[in-house]
Amino acid sequence: MTPETQELDLQERLNLIESMIAEGRRSTGSWGWTFVLWGVAYYVAIAWATLGHSNLAWPVTMVAAFILTAILASRLGRNQPGRTVSRALSAVWIALGISMFVLLLPLGISGRADLHTCVAIVGAMLGMANATSSIILKWKMQFACAIVWWASAVAACFSSDTQTSIAFLAAIFFCQIVFGIYGMVSEARENKLRGATHA
Amino acid sequence: MPELPDLNPVIHGKLRLACLSLLSGVEQAEFTWLRARTGSTDGNLGAQLLKLEEAGYVTAEKKFVQRKPQTIYRMTESGRDALTQYVQALKQLLGGAI
Repeated sequence: MTPETQELDLQERLNLIESMIAEGRRSTGSWGWTFVLWGVAYYVAIAWATLGHSNLAWPVTMVAAFILTAILASRLGRNQPGRTVSRALSAVWIALGISMFVLLLPLGISGRADLHTCVAIVGAMLGMANATSSIILKWKMQFACAIVWWASAVAACFSSDTQTSIAFLAAIFFCQIVFGIYGMVSEARENKLRGATHA
Repeated sequence: MPELPDLNPVIHGKLRLACLSLLSGVEQAEFTWLRARTGSTDGNLGAQLLKLEEAGYVTAEKKFVQRKPQTIYRMTESGRDALTQYVQALKQLLGGAI
């Protein structure tokens, strides 16, 4: 082996190390679908509670969405590597889910929950979780979602019932459905690019 | 003139180097994920990972998830040290070549 080919081989190995380390750090599961699923779950709960006048609408829909998320996440994430960032993000969203359930369910049962309080709580909490997640991932689009949720929380404190409902429905549409679909498209594009790089 | 370092032969194999580098960026990884990322075959990857395991650079944990066998690999501290030293040696050799 000449010194030139040896140098090329060594450089190739250094490049291999760098690309593989980056590959491991970049690999994340697909999470865009969870936003869409929860967006749909909120709409189902709102429609059921409004049209069916049922107190069970929210708890039943939320528990069903939680079980569905847990099943799908365990199936999709089975072959994904364990990463500190993934665990940190999961912790934020799991803690958020438990906090909302623990707070909103007793409020609903005790009859002390009104539309404005609930939307303000949900908006502030979802804003916090989206902001935390966006700062960890350095994802500006998700921070924009956090701002929309915070805006809906503030709006709920000052606006009428109708305006609060419209603000909440619009926040769900933009921050759950639109953002979720955008996330899914981005993930698919990234996977395609990665596949092309490996080929 | 300073003496040029030797490269660790256990890590020097390209597939073993790729596996160790991948594992350095994650906490743990499943066999199928490593296979997908390296584009290697089951047999070759298994053999190379066994060599890394015998050298004490990775640990393997076998378990069943929903009745399907899974092997989870983790990089050990000595594996991390070995990779760091390997990279330093590579850089030193490349520096010497330039």
